This record gives sequence, structure tokens and C-alpha cells, in this order.
Amino acid sequence: MIKRLIILSLVVILFLWISPASQAASDTIKIGLSAPITGNYAEFGENFNYAVQMAADKINAQGGINGKKVEIVVMDSKGDPRESALIAQRFVQDPNILAVIGDFTSTCSLAAAPIYERYGVVQLSPTASHPDFAPSGKYMFGIVGTQDAEGPFNAKYIAKEYLGLNSVAIIYINNDWGVVTKDRFAKAAQENGIKVTIEQPFFEGERDYNAILTKIRQTNPEGLFIAAMYNEASLICQQIRKMGWDVKLLAPSSVFSDSLLKLGGEAVEGLVTNTFFALNDPDPMVQEFIQEFRKRAGRDPNLHAACAYDAMLLLAEAIKKAGFDRKAIRDVLAETKGFQGVTGSITFTPVGDVVRKYKIMVVENGQWVIKKDYTRD
Amino acid sequence: MFFLQQLLNGIAQGSIYALMAIGYSIILGVVGLVSFVHGEVIMIGAFAGFYVLTFLYSNVLVALLAGFVATWALGMFIEKICYKPFRNAAREVALIATIGLSITLRSSAQIVFGTQQKFMPDMFGNRFFAVGDIRIAYTQVFVMLVVVALCIALRQLFFRTRFGIALRAVAMDKKAAALLGVNVNRTILFGNALACSLGGISGVLLGMYYNAVHPLMGATMAMKAFTSTVFGGLTSTTGAAIGGLLLGIFENLGVAFLSSGYRDIIAFLILIVVLLIKPSGLLGRKGVEL
Repeated sequence: MIKRLIILSLVVILFLWISPASQAASDTIKIGLSAPITGNYAEFGENFNYAVQMAADKINAQGGINGKKVEIVVMDSKGDPRESALIAQRFVQDPNILAVIGDFTSTCSLAAAPIYERYGVVQLSPTASHPDFAPSGKYMFGIVGTQDAEGPFNAKYIAKEYLGLNSVAIIYINNDWGVVTKDRFAKAAQENGIKVTIEQPFFEGERDYNAILTKIRQTNPEGLFIAAMYNEASLICQQIRKMGWDVKLLAPSSVFSDSLLKLGGEAVEGLVTNTFFALNDPDPMVQEFIQEFRKRAGRDPNLHAACAYDAMLLLAEAIKKAGFDRKAIRDVLAETKGFQGVTGSITFTPVGDVVRKYKIMVVENGQWVIKKDYTRD
Repeated sequence: MFFLQQLLNGIAQGSIYALMAIGYSIILGVVGLVSFVHGEVIMIGAFAGFYVLTFLYSNVLVALLAGFVATWALGMFIEKICYKPFRNAAREVALIATIGLSITLRSSAQIVFGTQQKFMPDMFGNRFFAVGDIRIAYTQVFVMLVVVALCIALRQLFFRTRFGIALRAVAMDKKAAALLGVNVNRTILFGNALACSLGGISGVLLGMYYNAVHPLMGATMAMKAFTSTVFGGLTSTTGAAIGGLLLGIFENLGVAFLSSGYRDIIAFLILIVVLLIKPSGLLGRKGVEL
């Protein structure tokens, strides 16, 4: 009787001693998700929510991380940088949150960055592509890739290897993005021995490209690199075909959209671009993701959803190796090499960015067709 | 060759500007006011043509007619709510009414038509013919032909019909015209509708020329029309036509020999220089004429 009492009291003491000290002893771990669930970007935030939850369910179905189930704590940033900073404040002060996925826009992610950095919590953004985001702190990671990766890929693999161009002209939209895109591509083209014949800017909302195109044509390039969004790019292609100019067309991933096919019609046939996530990717892992997403959301996943899905899987991998310590998670994450997700292979640069490899996509018979896939290399 | 090709691009573009500018100068002449809603009229015309071409699979002439009819009706509506009620009020009131209507139309268009740019087909596709090294697109020829035909028709209308003569009389002096038995109200109503329908046709042509329509396409176009009109001499339709043509040519040559970023700067520079040197414009005189 006394023996049983002693054992019971020992168990009680042990229990009381352990449980308040650390929640980690419980059987769930928490991951924060800061995303625009309402507001202008609600559609994208919703995609984040579906995709991250899907990844968490998949991990849990396989027994969780080191025996613990993953729980996603969703907070709505409304696409507002002030909100995302407040959310960061709440996440960092909750010791149960091991790492955070988010935010959607570069602006929101950048606003929250100093707070996560100060408290040493990983902020892994699936979509922030601003070149300043990942370098803004040790704990900031971006996986969507920036123009630093896209320009050289376009020059080397599309312009040189796929199209075999010796000379290329550039038409670009005169804003932050357009200038960066143009610069990175032009530099890489020259490094690959492709002559850049002319670089011509145009302003947002321009509709008549005849004069610019006639001017570019004078330089007689073999290819034309169009650094524009899909709506302007489709107009440019229309007007090129109207001029009866048979030039090879290539563009960054900004044109990868069904709308380009609708707006461009025949004029965009043969246009080459790059992407790292496509719905018609035959890879079984990608197809499984697409099917499951369709089942849950009732629509097709986009690039952002795929990135959010990979972000969760990536974090799970890191936690598996690092254990349940915020700093250790950061250190393991930073060393990620060749992680295979639905968006391809992910390897972090020293600043926490990803140099993406892409699929080469071509418009053929009004459809996007995958020509070559470098994402799995 | 390069120069001639750019000149041709400029003429095609300029002829559309000319058509807008003619409409603009008719409004100035008949109503006696600057209209801030003309850009939206152009946009509505473009969308009318777009829907006829896309959903009824009609030919371009029906599309032009649709643009004409839709904006004729819009022109009557504008007169009824922006000009007529304020004919005896201060001039600013009607001006502000047109600003308000333009914002309303633009925002409604974004709701009704969607904010996305839409692809507008034309029956010429990407066909062109070449003269030496110069390539002339069928669409460019079509645009120029339509504008020339309309200018000839307008000339006939102004000088050969009672309505045209009444329009010119009202433009010169409303009171004297009324004394001579011209129905001023009716003339203003139809004059404004005619001016708007010219804008509507130019909208359809614009859509066909660029293969795109957009709810915000009107704003810059209104600026171009206004510049052409000032350039040519405010209420002279011939002046407006020449102003539009020259503006198109200058813009294209500017892009060709300076930089593509200068297109809109050129329009503004022309506007400022003309206002400084010859405020009455190329063909403008004191008083009004159509």
C-alpha cells in the first residue's frame, strides 16, 4: 500500500515538474502562418492556407515530426504591413511557435522581418521575391527566387541553348521590376556570348509599340526578350506579327499565364518562357498535390500555393533534423541543399534566397507546353 | 526606309487622333465647353465594337456601326445631364458635371467589363503588304481609309445639309442662330451626339489597331484629342484633323529618334509650346468656325 502511494506521488510530482516547464513535452508543435486571409490579396492568402494545411495533414498522416503532430496557427495580415508586424510580435512571444511561414507580399514580409530577427524566429516566405527580403536578416528565407536567378537562366538555357540565338534585343517596362529584369538578363546574355543589340523601355499602360518595335527591328536581332507582364507582352507580340516580323520571342515568367494565350492568340505562338510550377507537369508528386488541392479548394493551385506547400514541407524537414529549437531550426534550414518539392529543387544561397532552376515553356497550338525541365536537376 | 516606316506608323496613329480631335472640336464649337468625358466616350465606343466583334462574330463595319450607335446615344445622354440643365449656370458647373460623369463611366466600366485588358479581333489578322522595305498592315490601311471617308462625309454634312449649316451657325453665335429660326437646343443635342459618335468610331478603330480594349484606355486618349485640338486651333475641325495627324507623326518620330519613353512628353510639350507661341493654334482664328 505504502509502496503504491510512493509510486503514485512520484508520478504526480514528475508530471507537475515536467508539464509547466515546457509545452514541448506535449504531442503537438506549432507553426505560424501569417497571410492575407481577407483584403485585396485574400485569394492568395486562401491558397496559402489550403496548401500549408494540406502539407501539415500529409506530415501528420505520416506520423508527424519526430512523433509530434504539426498544428498551423493562422493569423490574418490583410496584406497590410502594420498587421504583419503585429502578428510577428504575437508569434515571437508565443514559445510554442517554432517557425513562421509568411507573409505573402514582399512589403509585409519586410515589415515583419526585424521583429522575427530580434527574437530569432525563422520567417520563411513562400512568395516574397524582392531581392532585399532574404538578405534583410539571418532568419529570413525566401523560396520563390528573384531575378538574380531568372535572368541568367533565361540567357543561358533559353536564349543560348534552346533557341540558339547569337543576338537579342530587349524591350522592357520602365519600372523597378522591369529594369532589374532587363539588367540581369542583359548581363547574363553578354556573359554567354549573345550580343544585345538594343535595350528599349516603355511606360506602363502603353498600347502602341509600332514605333519602338520598328526601331528595335532596325538593329536586326535574332531574338526579342520581352520583360513585361502578360497583358503588355501579348500586345507587343500582336504588333510584331502585324509588322510581318519573324523574330524569336522569349520572356521571363511574368508572361506565364493563361491570359497571355487568350489575349495573344496566334501572335504568341512559339513564345518561350520559364516557370517552375506548371499544371501539366507529369511528375507524380506534383500531380498528387494538384489533385488534392483541387479536392479541397475547388480550383487549380497556382504558383503561390505550390510555394506555400513546399515551404511547410521544407520546415518539417528542418525541424526533423534540428529538433524543437528555434535557432537550431534556422541553422539546419540555412544548410538546405537539393530539397525536392513540388516546385522543384531548393538550395539556399548564403543570404537565404533560392537560385531557381526552371522549366522551359513554349506556346504551341495555343497551349503551354513543357519543353525541358531543369527543376529536378 | 526606317524614316518612312515610322512616318507611316505615325500617320496611322495620327489619323485616329484626328478623328477624336474632330469630335472634340465639334463639342467645343457647338456646346461651347471643353468636355472631360470624351475619353470615356471613346472607351465605350471601343467596348461596343469589341462585344459586337466577339459575341456576334460580325464584321468590322457592323462593329464600327455599333460604336457609332452606342456613343450617339451616350452623346444625347451627356447633353441631357451635363450640359442642358446648366446652360444658364456658370460654365464651371457643366465642366464639373462632365468630370463627374467621366469618373462614373470609368468606374462602372471596370465593374461591368472587368478590369482586365481584352483581346479585340479584327478581320485582317496579321496580314500586310510590302512596298520595298516598308510594310503596311491591312489594319493600318483600313484605319486610314475609314478616317478619310468620314472626313469627306463630314465636310459634305457641314456644307451641304441643313443640319450642318445649323451646326455651324450655332457654333458661331447661338443667339443670332436662334433669331434666324435655328432650333438651338436640338442642334446642340444632335451636334454633341455626332461628336461623341466620332469618338466612338475612333475607339473601335483604336481597339482594332492595337487588338486590345481596356476600361482605362480613354484617359490618355482624351489628353491626345485635346492636345490635337489645341494644336490645330480649338474649334476648327480641319485644324483639329491636321493637329491629330501631326501629333501622331511627331510622337512616332520622337520615339524613333529620341527614346520610347518620350511619347507622352512630346504631346505635352507640343501643348505647352503651342499655348505659349500661338494660343489660337495652327488654323485657329478669333471667334469660332466649324
